[in-house]
Order: sequence, then C-alpha cells, then structure tokens
Amino acid sequence: MYKKKDKRPGEAVWIFEGYARRRGSEDMLFKCKNCGSNVVYEPGRGRMYCPHCESEDSEDMIQGATMTQCVNCGAPVTVQDYASAGRCEHCGSYIVFNERIEGVYEPHMILPFRVNKESAVQAMDKEFKKRLFTPSGFMSAKSLEKMSGIYVPFWMYDYKARYDFSGEGTKVRRWTSGDTEYVETSYYAVLRKMDLDFDRIPVDASYRMDDETMDLMEPYDYGMLEDFHPKYMSGFYGEVYNQGAAELEGRAKDKARVASEELMQESLCGYQTIIPHRKDLNLQRAGVNYVLMPVWQYLYRYQGKTYQFHVNGQTGKVIGTTPVSVAKVIGYGMSVFAAVTAACAIGVRILEIL
Amino acid sequence: MREYFHYFKWLYIILGVMLLCYGIVAGGHLAASKAAGYERTNTQCKSEERVFDYGDVLTDREEDKLRELIARREKQTGCDIVLVTLQESLEGYAREIEPYADYSEFVRIYAEKFYEDNNFGYDKPNGDGVILVDNWYREADGSIYTWFCTTGKVKEAYSDANVNHILDNVYRYVEHEPYRAYKTYINDFYHDMTGMRLFNIYVPGAFAWVAGIISAVIFMLYNMRPRRGGKTTTAVTYVAGRKPQFRTREDAFLRKSVVKHHIQRNNSGGHSGGGHSGGGGGSHGGGGHSR
Repeated sequence: MYKKKDKRPGEAVWIFEGYARRRGSEDMLFKCKNCGSNVVYEPGRGRMYCPHCESEDSEDMIQGATMTQCVNCGAPVTVQDYASAGRCEHCGSYIVFNERIEGVYEPHMILPFRVNKESAVQAMDKEFKKRLFTPSGFMSAKSLEKMSGIYVPFWMYDYKARYDFSGEGTKVRRWTSGDTEYVETSYYAVLRKMDLDFDRIPVDASYRMDDETMDLMEPYDYGMLEDFHPKYMSGFYGEVYNQGAAELEGRAKDKARVASEELMQESLCGYQTIIPHRKDLNLQRAGVNYVLMPVWQYLYRYQGKTYQFHVNGQTGKVIGTTPVSVAKVIGYGMSVFAAVTAACAIGVRILEIL
Repeated sequence: MREYFHYFKWLYIILGVMLLCYGIVAGGHLAASKAAGYERTNTQCKSEERVFDYGDVLTDREEDKLRELIARREKQTGCDIVLVTLQESLEGYAREIEPYADYSEFVRIYAEKFYEDNNFGYDKPNGDGVILVDNWYREADGSIYTWFCTTGKVKEAYSDANVNHILDNVYRYVEHEPYRAYKTYINDFYHDMTGMRLFNIYVPGAFAWVAGIISAVIFMLYNMRPRRGGKTTTAVTYVAGRKPQFRTREDAFLRKSVVKHHIQRNNSGGHSGGGHSGGGGGSHGGGGHSR
C-alpha cells in the first residue's frame, strides 16, 4: 500500500491543469467493438455491457479531447468542479476525465456498483412506501430519470489506538432483614489497557455530499474492493477528492475516539458508578487510502425545495428525509379522526345497550 | 387512492365489524324488549302525563322525546315512570304534612304524595312504578334536593345501592344537560328492572370526539416525524478482528461499607366509605341526593 501526499482543494485545480499539460492526458470513453455504442459497467452483471447490442466485455478504450469536448461526438462538455467522470449532454456517452484519475488523483481502490438503478429504485420504493405523507409524484418515472450513480471520493484511515484507563468503581448490594435494610457498597480499583486496530475508517472527501448522510450510508463491505480501473466508472458520474486526507483526518479521529470510548465503557459494565482517575487515548495513524465508493443520488424538487436521497450503491441502504404533502396529512388525519370517532361512538352505544 | 385504501383497509374493516356488532346487539335488544311486553291494568290513574316540567328546565321537544321513551320503557318494565321538575320551595307544603320534616325530606314527601294523588302504578293505583322529583329551588339550608321514589315491585327490586347508583348517574349530567340526566334515569331504571345491563360504566359525551382528535394528532405526528435513515455501524465495525485487545484488565477489591436503614412500617388500616341512605315510610321506597 502506498500513500499519497495530501493536497488542499485550492491546489487541486492547478495540479489537474499542470498534470494534463505535462502528460497530455486525454479523456476516456469505452466503445463497443461490435456496434460502436458506449459500453458501461453493469452492476447486476458485474462486467462491461453494451446496452445497444447486449454484448459483454466488448469494450475498447478510446482516448480523445481533454475536458472540453466529448470524445465521442466532439460536442462541448461542461465539466463540474471536481468531476472525474460525467456524461455528454449531446450524445449521452459516459466519459472518464483521465487527468482527474491519474497521478496523485489515481484512487487506490474502487468499490464497483453492485446495485443497479432498478434495484436502487426498488429499495427506495420499499423504504418510502412506509412514509405515508410523501407526495404522490415522489417516485414517478419522470422524476426518477434524474437519478444518477456517483463514485464519491473517500479517504480511509487506519489507526492503531491505545487506550489506558484507571478509576474507581462501585458495586452496590441491597437486602432486608427484619425491619432493617442494608446497603453494601464495594469499591474496586479498575484498570484497563486496551489496544484497537482501526481498519479503513471512511470519511467522504466531497463538498457536494452531506457528511452526516455519507456517515449514515455506512458500512460498506470492503471485501468487494477492487484495484482501481477506469472501466468501473463508465456509466456513472464521479468525483476526485475535494479535500486532502490531512484536512479531513479530524472526522476520522472523532469516529475512532467515539468507538474506543464505547468499547471501553462496555468493558466497565457491572459497576454502578465509575470515577475515572486517568483516561488516555492515543491514536496513531497507520495508513490512509483514497477510495471511490458507489452512491445513487436522487434529487426531488418539491414546493421550491430540493430534497436529496441517497442509496448505497453496494448494500442498497436508503438515506433521505422525504417531503411532507400537506394535502395528504389533512386527508389521512381526517380519515383517522372520522374512523376513530365513529368507532368510539358505536362502542359507547353498544356498551350503553348492554 | 389505491394507496389510501390499502393503508386504511383494516381501519374500515374494524369499523364495519363494529357496525355489524352494533346491529346485532341493537336488534337483539329490541327483540328481547318486545318479547317482554306488559299489559297495563291500572284504570284509575288520573293522568296520562308522565313528564311534569314545572321547573321549566326542558324544551318542548325534549319533553316529547322523554314522553316517547317513557311510553316504551313502561311497556318493557311493567312500571309507571314519572318525572317531575320543580322550581319552588317545598317547605310549607311538606311541613303541613310532616311538621318536623328535615329539608332533605321535603322532596320525598312531595314525591310520594304526587304519586299517590295521581293514582300512578302500572298494575293498580299506587302500584308498580317510580317517580323522580328534581326540585331546582335552593332551599333555606342552601341545597337543591332530588328524590327517587319506588313503589310496588320496584321497591322490592331496588336496594339502597341501586337507588344511589341511579341518582349518581342523574347527577353526573343534571347541572349542564338536564335532558341527558332524565334520559339516563329512564334508561337506567329500564336496565335495572330488565337485568339487561352487563356494563355499568360512565362514558362522558365528548369521549368519542376527544378520542378521535387525539388519535388523529398522534397519527399525524408519528407519520410526520423526520425519518432520514438509521445508523447501521457499531463500535467494532472498523476494528480489526471485531473486538478490542486488552493488555490489562484488572478489577482489584479495595474496601467495603455497609449502611443500615430502619424501615418504618405503617400498620394503620384503611377506612371504609359511607353511603347514602334512603327510604321513606309506608308503601314507598327510594332515596335522595342534594347538590
């Protein structure tokens, strides 16, 4: 495993341009050898697939213009800040921006999509069916067209943690004999020295993605991580890391601290009270990796506000707060009111008769 | 709409079942009532009237509804059911008959005399029946008195507890809903005499509305709560081997302290509640309440 030098977001753009000029890096497109259509990575099949002629693994990598023109049709391409893969608005081909996945921007690993768009929609449908007051058009086919798969940049941190704890604990026992209650308090010197190896704590490196939402997307199954290859990005959008590993390390350390504290508290169970004398947690960074993780993103606009929903592209876990339809709240609420009132009135009447 | 009916189908099924139960119970009750019809044999009764609203606490429509109900209940119970409301002091009237009568006795004297003077009784004059006299006038002692008078087979059937119970139910409503109070008197009497009452619970009139509002509010708040998605990681998700390694794990006993408390035992017993006592002399029974 090799480590990369952290870069600040401000530097990143300058480096992209410098790197591209130096190496003459060109954008990539995967074309079908059989029919010439754009070949994409199909999560359900776990391989490259041509949606036009339905052939598998028939891709040819084509390289061309650099982030200004489409490799396929030559139309101008609008590249978002930090985008590493996108789609030509003119011909619909998926393009991988090579200069944003090369050199210091080359991910160590990638977790390819395992959940395709249909499965992601099903997962959302299953989840949001339970949310009664969601507007009727929320999962309409037209709205779902805008749903896109994105490879989100993550830093993954390894830590060796050493947590030393000492304190005084009490255990209380009560019993009664005759008219006397006895309370016995036993005092113990409590000592713990705990070692933890944290393996790949993920922290998203994307301004676009809400941190809390990305934390809720966890966990991912790291057993399915692959060495990075640009072919996995064909058919999806992607981002290069927006912030460096050093800049985001605070969040990873916080996660490690919270987990360490929780595990230490678990080891102290059985005591009624614990008075700590010494708590010393030392976190030593053992490594950091730059990884692309799969996320489906669905944006839904309702009454002037945009609501974001995300589906873990590997596990299908759904995260997002749905909008509330006032009409549904009133309609459903009135139904409950009417039904309960009627049921109670009938019940009371039956009791009166009986 | 499909989603709506899918979600609420159980609510509507329960409602339908309750309506069905109501139909069965009400139908059965009606059939049982008809089966137990009595023939009136008292031909000397001086009045066909049963509702004497001298106190003017009921509307004409309420009086008519009570008359209809009484006519039905009389046939079902074989008893005359009389209601009198007053708005006057009975001190002079009662003291003429019983010079040393207490304030609480005035209304009893009036009820018994009224019943006897009118020859009420389903089977014969001064026979089976009841009369409720509710005098809204506040007597000199500051109280308003009500008397429930029983005669004939009702006197045999009604215990003091029964009398108190029927008066308690009347007093629940009488201040604000006199019509409901007097309707309760007639229905309770009917249930007591026919033995058809399984449940004797007090349900306030607004119960169904309040239950509906509370249920709707809870339902709306529950379904409007923000749900984003739950955390599915644990403390060991990113820990190698899924568990911590302890180099040292010691729990050394230091000392012990024992505190004793004397337990105060309360040996005093409870006290029993009192009750109303009723009962007039002669051929009448019954009891009274004041407010």
